[in-house]
Amino acid sequence: MRREEVLCLFPEGSRDRWREVAKRAEGLQEIRFRVGMPLSVWIDNKENFVDEQGKIVDRPEKAMRPAAEEVEALLQHLCRYSVYAFADEIRQGFLTVQGGHRIGLAGQVIPDKDGRIKNMKYIRYLNIRIAHQVKGAADSVIPYIFEKGHVQNTLLISPPGGGKTTMLRDIIRQVSDGTVYGAGVNVSVVDERSEIAGSYLGVPQNDVGIRTDVLDGCSKTEGMMMAIRSMAPQVLAVDELGSTEDVQALQMAGGCGCRLLATVHGDSLEEIGHKDYMRYVMEAGVFDRYVVLDRRTGVCRIAGIYDGKGNLCISG
Amino acid sequence: MYKWIGFFCILAGCAGWGNTRAALEKERVGHLRILFHILGQMRGEISYGKHTLPEVCLLLSELNDGCYKKCFSRIYEQTREENGGDFAKVWETELTSCLEGLPLREDERETVIGLPKTLSFREEGGQSDRIGQAEAFLEGRYRQAEETYENRSKMIRSVSILTGLLLAIVLL
Repeated sequence: MRREEVLCLFPEGSRDRWREVAKRAEGLQEIRFRVGMPLSVWIDNKENFVDEQGKIVDRPEKAMRPAAEEVEALLQHLCRYSVYAFADEIRQGFLTVQGGHRIGLAGQVIPDKDGRIKNMKYIRYLNIRIAHQVKGAADSVIPYIFEKGHVQNTLLISPPGGGKTTMLRDIIRQVSDGTVYGAGVNVSVVDERSEIAGSYLGVPQNDVGIRTDVLDGCSKTEGMMMAIRSMAPQVLAVDELGSTEDVQALQMAGGCGCRLLATVHGDSLEEIGHKDYMRYVMEAGVFDRYVVLDRRTGVCRIAGIYDGKGNLCISG
Repeated sequence: MYKWIGFFCILAGCAGWGNTRAALEKERVGHLRILFHILGQMRGEISYGKHTLPEVCLLLSELNDGCYKKCFSRIYEQTREENGGDFAKVWETELTSCLEGLPLREDERETVIGLPKTLSFREEGGQSDRIGQAEAFLEGRYRQAEETYENRSKMIRSVSILTGLLLAIVLL
């Protein structure tokens, strides 16, 4: 992550204010804009604030409070002065910009006649989530994902912010490029929210491997079968299973001979087993490996790796 | 002898003035045609290609020639993420300098220069419709100018030669 990348997130006129924050690009995690509220930045797991001169301060009273016009100008810049071109993303509540950084949005929702989200106006809250690819994040898991040179169906389990997407991204990269445990294979990624590959204008901004095809912005249920039909992958990867439909589509993909890599929100294997839509696949033995992650000490770590029957293989 | 030379000089001067006026009319027709085609290209790239405005400018610089090519190329360069220029300001500055000195009327010039004021629609349909309105305005002006050009150019040339003749007779 380079300083210039952070500065590029802001319009030319306000870049001077962000130079000090950009100097700490390596540890920068989030920049949060709320109209009329202190402007906060998360650096190295700690909340800080930014004052009018761009200095990083630790108290909210000293922080600058962005006006609605500033937030609107930033949104226009992030959308490259073409909000219409990002209407689909805005409808989902986020944008992905160059570098794979995610911009979360909140404001007033415009519903259509069926009550579904048509668009968003008066966007007054922006959460810029800085993408950091951690190459080697999956090094300790890779030996357990391969068996006799073949990728095992693996489910990564972690609470929000536990690092499952980071780990999934690195597993995809290593499976695609090949490791000492197995040769590189074709991987298809159904990247519904552009979080894994961080695609911008269709090009992955993160390294997801040399044999990886990315279906960006496509729903998991439609994307998985589409990827199998069109790209003939040996491994299929998806992030954040969250419904019965997702799980059914995943199971169908597994039935086509694809190996599966997936993630799900949860604290433990037991908790996952209590979710209706997950219980079924666990009982059916779809997955051969469960990797549980946590961040109890503020740092992401592996809490345990289990086999398909739920037996602990390795404890964190 | 000198009278005849003076006579022809006055006549040629007036005819030349008439020709220049007619050429300006022709140039105006040409620029109006280019401008309404540019807006049509913009509308197409937005509604079908769903490109962002800086990308549209890059495409316009590839599709057009002369001052327009340079102008749109400069807008693209300045509004790229790396440079972060404000699109509305850059557009206004570049188009003002590009259209300066061209034989266009003030409202035609304003329609193009002020276009970014109408470019904040949240979906491509509304956005391209708004550009379509500016395009329709310029197309109307172009058709009108083209229709009147033939008649007016003949009239300007005839009047200028007749004025020359009259001046020469009166003065000599």
